[in-house]
Amino acid sequence: MNKTIPLIVILCVIVATPLMGQTKKAGQAPKAGSCLGCHADMAAVLPKDHKPVKGTDITACVGCHKPDLSGKPEANNFSARLHRAHVKPEAKTECALCHVWAPGKPISVKGTKASLGPVSKGTMSLLKAMFVSWAASSYLDAIHDKGNIVCLACHGKTLPEAGDTVENDRCLSCHGPMDTLAARSAPKDFPDRNPHKSHLGDIACTVCHHVHSASKVYCLECHAKFTMKIPEGNS
Amino acid sequence: MNREDLEEHEEGSPVSTKVSRRGFLKAGIGLGAVAGASGLALNLSKGEAQAAERKLPKKWDEEVDVIVVGSGFAGLAAAAESAGKGAKTVILEKMPTYGGNSIINGGVYASWDDEYHLRQKLGLGEDSPKQHKEDTLKGGDFYGIPVLVDVMVSGATDALNWMIDEGGCKIREAVTRAGGHTAYRTHTVVEGVGKGFTEPLRKIAEKRGAKIRLNNKVTWIWRKDTEGPVLGVEVETPKGKKNLRAKKGLVLAAGGFSRNKEMRQAFNPSVVPEYNSTNHPGATGEVLRYAQAIGADALQLAFIQLYPFAEPETGILDTPAVYPFNGVGYGLMYVDKNGKRFVNELERRDVCAQAQIKLGLKPTYSIFNEEMVVKMGGTMDEVNQGTAKGRFIKADSVEEIAQKLNIPAAALKETVRKYNQYLKDGKDPDFNKPITKVMIPLEKGPFYAIAQWPAVHHTMGGMRINPRGQVIDIWGKIIPKLYAAGECTGGVHGSNRLGSNAIPACTAFGRVAGTTVATEKA
Repeated sequence: MNKTIPLIVILCVIVATPLMGQTKKAGQAPKAGSCLGCHADMAAVLPKDHKPVKGTDITACVGCHKPDLSGKPEANNFSARLHRAHVKPEAKTECALCHVWAPGKPISVKGTKASLGPVSKGTMSLLKAMFVSWAASSYLDAIHDKGNIVCLACHGKTLPEAGDTVENDRCLSCHGPMDTLAARSAPKDFPDRNPHKSHLGDIACTVCHHVHSASKVYCLECHAKFTMKIPEGNS
Repeated sequence: MNREDLEEHEEGSPVSTKVSRRGFLKAGIGLGAVAGASGLALNLSKGEAQAAERKLPKKWDEEVDVIVVGSGFAGLAAAAESAGKGAKTVILEKMPTYGGNSIINGGVYASWDDEYHLRQKLGLGEDSPKQHKEDTLKGGDFYGIPVLVDVMVSGATDALNWMIDEGGCKIREAVTRAGGHTAYRTHTVVEGVGKGFTEPLRKIAEKRGAKIRLNNKVTWIWRKDTEGPVLGVEVETPKGKKNLRAKKGLVLAAGGFSRNKEMRQAFNPSVVPEYNSTNHPGATGEVLRYAQAIGADALQLAFIQLYPFAEPETGILDTPAVYPFNGVGYGLMYVDKNGKRFVNELERRDVCAQAQIKLGLKPTYSIFNEEMVVKMGGTMDEVNQGTAKGRFIKADSVEEIAQKLNIPAAALKETVRKYNQYLKDGKDPDFNKPITKVMIPLEKGPFYAIAQWPAVHHTMGGMRINPRGQVIDIWGKIIPKLYAAGECTGGVHGSNRLGSNAIPACTAFGRVAGTTVATEKA
């Protein structure tokens, strides 16, 4: 008689356990913004050795991974890693999974007070296009993506708008200083045919290095016979 | 041009002519009344649907005192002077880099004197502003307007010294005699390229508060009617179209149109599309059309210059391509593929270009030797680099030069022999080249040769201006608050610009325009 009570308890526990910690009933869709819409469980999305998290959406992460709006040029940060995984066209994710936004309002991250913006409808569609380029093109932005460098590392504290440009000091914070860069690009045969030290003087990096479209060597507009290649351009 | 426009006026702001052509203008153009009543802008370009409806901006996105269009010699000099007089000055540059043609040219500057008195120091003979003026007028076949040439020759030395003293410009210790000039007056910067002048000008302009805005392309000039002043410009900026008000005035320094094949052919059909151009890609002349659309007169647009010694395949005027120009006063010689001379090397550019075209043998060659290099304003460093890059061909003998160029050695040797004799005799019976005592015979090696061919280089014609840099309309009246300087103007160089006259003209006229516009009432 004493043996059956423990058995029943055990059976109840076994049946009840899968339902604990989750509000879903069998057959119900995960709540809006949940990672489980695509991922089997949270363990599948966390890196190895990451301690388990409570929650199944971005709010589960931002307690520790606070959005960094300092505009520091920094590679491989949390934002970069997360965006990189989700903005490829085949990922089929919507910004609204983790972000809160309405046209003309600031864009923020669920579960945090951080916000960037305001962002108009036009700028939003431009941002989306830039993300796709960053994730999947052959341009300089995709090359930076492979280095896990995301938007604010180049654009600073605020999201860019149409017509914005990035100043040289941002690029040089990783690729400079200018003299070192020029020394590296001096051709061995004719050192004065140096794209980074020419008779045009100090020019913007973006004259040649177009980040969200194909780059083009400006020198070749006149010096058509020079042999000059730009890594991310049409050779 | 009317005498009224050229009369001296009292100190203070420029005044337009006293004679009123109000009735005449309204009847003649018929837009005056309409424009005033309905807020439409002056627009002498009827027909095109997009251009037909141009409404004046309801409000201005920004207001400054002086807007300068173009960041070359003329634009920078104008901005430097207007900013120096306290006017808030903005330079609008449509390209992503500054300097246009000014930053990439040969960096040669004709001036009868300089603060080091180099011509005198080097014993190179006499010169004067009067002689410079005479050479310039003659070189342009007397199409040049004498009062405009006065501005260049009287302002050239001052402007050179200004760039040296205030801008840190450094010139080489050499003065050359260039084609069409009768004196040794051509100076060179140490860099050997126009940047040696644009950087000093930019330094002066920015130090005085002028600001260059890159990627800002002017797309229209606003003027309400045929009487009033220009008001401002429409600009294509990275942030979209904006309207900028110019309270004191607008200075157009947008360069020429050598890269615009349609305009070239429209004014001068013989400048066929096949010609390369030495110019930067932005030399397309649209600002001239915007000025004409609001009444500006233009002149001598058919006069389009070919630089005779551009690199044959691309038309580029690189450092080596300056040598055929600079060396003629020191003994440099031109030969064709048959090893024969074909022109007086000290002739004007159009004569040298046409002589080559008549030959129909592309390319021709300049021959010089090492003895001449430094005297002719060059450096051994440039020559060695140019040789390594295949631009100069180096040889120890005339025979070897002929072999390397694949031209008949016997013919070339004979040409050189005769040429050296002419230098000794002091006379050139073949082509009448003036022989001077500083010319060096082609006797001692090493010898150098460089291939050359004409390419479209400079457009002498453009907007009509008066000696104060004010733009004149088709009736001879000053367009209030509109100024222009540099290659976009016409009437300074006549039918043919003498080499090394461009920088002094641009800088002198830029300074005049900038000084005068700053005195306008905002």
